[in-house]
Parts: sequence; structure tokens; C-alpha cells
Amino acid sequence: MNDPTNVKLRLSNSELWGGLIGLALGGFVIWSGLRLKLGTINDPGSGYVLFYTGILMCVFAAAIVVSAITEGGPTLAARWENVRWSKPLLLIACLTAFSFALEPLGFLLSSIPVMLLLLRLIDPVRWALAIPIAVLVPSGMWWVLKRLLLIQLPSGLFGIG
Amino acid sequence: MDTLVNVAHGFGVALLPVNLLYCFIGVFIGTLVGVLPGIGPISAMSLLLPVTLSGTPESGIIMMAGIYYGSMYGGSTTSILVNIPGEAASVVTCIDGHQMAKQGRAGPALGISAFGSFVAGTFALVALMLVAPKLASIAIAFGPAEYFSLMVLGLVVLTFLTQGSMPKALLMACIGVVLGLIGLDSITAQPRLTFGRMELIDGVGLVPVVMGLFGIAEVLLNTEQAIKRDIINTKITRLLPNKEDWKVSAGPVGRGTILGFFLGILPGGGAVVASFASYALEKRLSKTPERFGHGAIEGVAGPESANNAAAGGAFIPLMTLGIPPNVVMALLLGAFVIHGLQPGPLLITQNPGLFWGIVASMYIGNVMLLILNLPMIGMWVQLLKLPYNILFPLIILFTILGVYCSSNNVFDVYVMIAFGIIGYFMRKLGYEPAPLVLAFVLGPMMENNLRKSLILSQGDLWTFVQRPISGACLVLALVLLIAPLLPSLRKKRELVALDEGA
Repeated sequence: MNDPTNVKLRLSNSELWGGLIGLALGGFVIWSGLRLKLGTINDPGSGYVLFYTGILMCVFAAAIVVSAITEGGPTLAARWENVRWSKPLLLIACLTAFSFALEPLGFLLSSIPVMLLLLRLIDPVRWALAIPIAVLVPSGMWWVLKRLLLIQLPSGLFGIG
Repeated sequence: MDTLVNVAHGFGVALLPVNLLYCFIGVFIGTLVGVLPGIGPISAMSLLLPVTLSGTPESGIIMMAGIYYGSMYGGSTTSILVNIPGEAASVVTCIDGHQMAKQGRAGPALGISAFGSFVAGTFALVALMLVAPKLASIAIAFGPAEYFSLMVLGLVVLTFLTQGSMPKALLMACIGVVLGLIGLDSITAQPRLTFGRMELIDGVGLVPVVMGLFGIAEVLLNTEQAIKRDIINTKITRLLPNKEDWKVSAGPVGRGTILGFFLGILPGGGAVVASFASYALEKRLSKTPERFGHGAIEGVAGPESANNAAAGGAFIPLMTLGIPPNVVMALLLGAFVIHGLQPGPLLITQNPGLFWGIVASMYIGNVMLLILNLPMIGMWVQLLKLPYNILFPLIILFTILGVYCSSNNVFDVYVMIAFGIIGYFMRKLGYEPAPLVLAFVLGPMMENNLRKSLILSQGDLWTFVQRPISGACLVLALVLLIAPLLPSLRKKRELVALDEGA
């Protein structure tokens, strides 16, 4: 009966967290709607729909919170049980690093290392194959976009690309 | 007679070499993403949305439509041969299709699936040609109240059919509406939720949101598990079903086609619901229901016909009312908007070349698909062996480039990565992105129509109930909102709940 992966009023209850985030977002939307002015029902203002959508968000989020407390929900750890959670985490880290590097380094200097990392991190591709793919595919795409389609890709501080 | 003249005009447009090329690219990519598990038509269409910018509106939309109905064909291949549905609408095909393959009847299963799809796709097009102009002429009389209520109904139906809890789906829909409202207010020109960022003045782009939620998030989810494939290795020799197969499949193909077409028209419905409904119907009508699940060809013929007919039917609300009934059609609406076109009652009269060209291209696309999916089946089987550890990094690179090229703006790449990460966590916590995307597209239109109808009625909320079509839509939406509270209906909802993201 006592399933450790299904909890009620605990901080590890993932459903509770989902509902609380929804409530916070709903609150923010209501506040934004009020700030933008509601107008009148004859002439609704810019914040009219936002305000009422925010209220609906709070109602639905509250329903999620109530259900999480009364019926319980899977723990945060249970959501990542029996999966290779490190893989998406590494991928997220790569993508975040890429988003910071794209403008200063430019497309080529940022995408080649990221491709190499992705090829080696998800399910390692052997180096002899990973290196040519990581270099040739972004370079080929860069060439097609820049030379054939005349699309300017970010060239970064070094002006490469 | 008028229809025939219009169809001839449509073929004139569709048979232009450039449009034929785009049609082929569309159905080819559609079959490809249908075959490859993990990438569905939504991901593919969102990835290719920027490509539509490079050509004429006809070419771009012909290609996008081709991806959608092409994926319905391709999805059955993986279901039958690998027991992994290539996309959500082919989930049911796995049940009997893979059993047939195990019994050495992969050929007839693939054959009936392709022929059934062709029959259904063709029927849906004929019906689209006949129904769409009539409905468009009626829709001209629709006011903002009707449009608002229809959109509300569409959103509620989609949330009703989305997997998981209804409050979660509704919360997602509300978040979608809010995201859609970011940017300048179309009436007062006041900036909303822009946080002082110039990039947000025009709102958040559809392309980065969808590519993030469906492209990047899908890859993140897929990397969690090593994808194992149990490919049927025997050579597929005879693709033509025998006389007995045809006899038992004729009824399911016919019923699946009609059922699928009508379910496709309904807002929020679509190919996934149609395939499940058709399977349930065939099982109920069968004299030997115990054969289902053990390789009954009716279990392949019915759902495969239904999902293709639904794909055709789904074009009706988009083309005639300008309301996308599902996320795929929302993306197609995005393609229209990118080209400065507004689908709706006036599209057929103002842009006959575009409408009839798209319809005619679907005929051609269906023939192309029959050729692609039968004689070339061996090529698709080989493709199933493509390693995912190479495919996923490539998808990420293409999404980044696709987003960047759609706006020439690095900010959109950041938005896409952020939505990819958010989409991953949403899916992990059981929040489906489909209602968010549909609401994101419908949100600004809903707001506009709500405000217009309130101004026109001088703040009288009864206007939404007093007008018959609007009132009927709202009552239906209310019923669907209350339905999950009843245990028997909740069970039914869980049975038909769909995973749009697949």
C-alpha cells in the first residue's frame, strides 16, 4: 500500500511543484493584466484577456495542487527513475553553453565543438566518424546558407563564418 | 461544373514543375518522419516551417501538407515491421500489423495499409472539394462571437483528448494564450509582457516555440533511453493482399474512411482519434473479435484508412473558417500567415489558385505516396537501421539553423533552446505541449474576436449564448469540461486520450 514513489503532502511531490509553479505563473499574469489596465466590458483594455486568463490559470493550478495533496503524486526522483537522466542533462548543458557561445564565437566556432560533444555524449560515436561529421556537417550547412542562399550566420568576435 | 473547372485550374497550379518538386519533397519527408520513430509530423513541419519562406505560398503549403499526409502513410511501416509507431496515429496499427509481420504476412499488411490510405486520402480530397466551398459560403455570415466560441470549443476538445489530467491540459492552454498575447496589443498598440526587450515587441515566434517544444524536447526525451528495435528481418516479397484479404478489408476501409473524415473535421480531433475509433468500431462489428490483436488484417485496414481520411478532413476547418482543428493545422496556419495569407471563408474566392492548387497537389501526392510506399518499401526498411546517436545531433543542428534562418535573429535560437528545456520538463511532469501550441496560435485571434464581440454587443455577454452556432459550441465545450468529473466518461476519455507529440 505504501508506495514510496507516490507521496502526498511532501516537498518531493512533483505534482505539487507543477501546481505551485502554475499558481505563481497565474498570479504573475493577473498582476500583469491589472498593470496593463482592464478597461470596461464595453471596451476591454489591453490587460482584460490576460487578467481573466490569469484567473483561469490559478483555478486550474489550484485544482492540480488539491489533487496532488489529496490523491498524492509521483516524487521528483520517480520521474527520472530507470532512465539515463544524465544524457538529457548533458544535452541541456551543451545547448546552454552553445547559446552563450553563439554570438561571441560565431556559428562555426560554436557549432563544431557542440556537434562533437553531442556525437560523443548521447551514445558515443567513434572518434573516426564523430570528428568528420562534426566538422563537415556544420561547415557544409554554413557553406550552403552563406554562399548559396546568402543567409548571414553569426560570425562572432573573430569574424569566422 | 464549377468544381470541375476549379479542379482543372488547381491541377494547372499543382503540375507546375516547382510545385511538383515541393510536393515530392513534402511527401518524401513525410514518409521519412513517419518511418523514423521519435520524430513526428509536428516536429518535421516545425523544422521545415522556415523553408516555406523561400518559395511561393503555394509551394510552401503544398510541401507542408505533403509532410502531414505523407507521415500518415510512413507511420504504418515502423508499426508493422518494428512494432514502434512512427507517429501517434499509427499506434493502433502496431497491434495487428506487427502480428501479421511475425506470421510472415508483412507484405499484405503494408500493402493493405498503403491501398487503404490511398482510398481514404482520395475520398477525403473529393469530400474536401465538395464540402469546403459550401462551408466557406456559410462561414461568411459568422461573426466574432461565433469565431470566438468555435476556437474555445477547439481548445476544449483538444484538452479533453490530451493524455493525462484535464486541469494540466487546460493550464497548458492558458499558458499558450498568454504566450500568444506577448507583444504589441493589436488594438491599443500597448506592449504586453515584453520586459523591455525589443525582440518581443512582435511577439514570440511560432517557429522557435514549436521547434523547442517538439524538436529539442523530443530529442532530450529520446536520449533518456537507448532505442531498441526489433526489425522483422525476413524479405518482404508479396505486397499485394490476396482475394480473401481484399474481401475482409473492403468494409473496414470504407467505414474507416467515412469515420476518419468526419472525426478529422471536428476541432481538436484528428488522425489519432480517428485511428483508435476505427479500430474499436471494427472490433465491435467483427464476428470474430478474438482475432484482433493476433494479426487481423481489418485491424490494419480500418485505422490506416481512418487516419488518412482524418488528415484530409482536418483541412476543412482551416481552409473554410481559418481555425486550425489541431496542432498540425496550427503549423499550417503559421505557414499561411508567414506568407501574409489568412485562411478563412474568403480564401477560396480570393485565392482560388492557392486553394485548388493545394487540393490538386494532394491527389498527386497520394499517387506519389503509393509509389514511395510500395515498390520502394525496401529503402524505408533500410532507413530504420539509421543510428540515432548520429541522427539526434543532426536534428539539433538543423533546428538551430532552421530557427535562425526563419528570422535572422539569435534571440529566436535562445527562445527555442529555452522552450526545448521547458518542454522536456513539462513532458516529464505530465504536461502535454499540444494544447499550449494550439492556444498560442489561437490566443491572439480569440482575444481579438472576444473584444470585437464585446464592443459590438456593448458588453452584453449573452451575445455568445443567444447566437445559435456560438451557443451550441459553448454548450458542447461546457459538457466536455464537466465530462471528466463523471467516472464513466473519465474512463472513456482515458481510452481515447492521445499523445500529439509522438
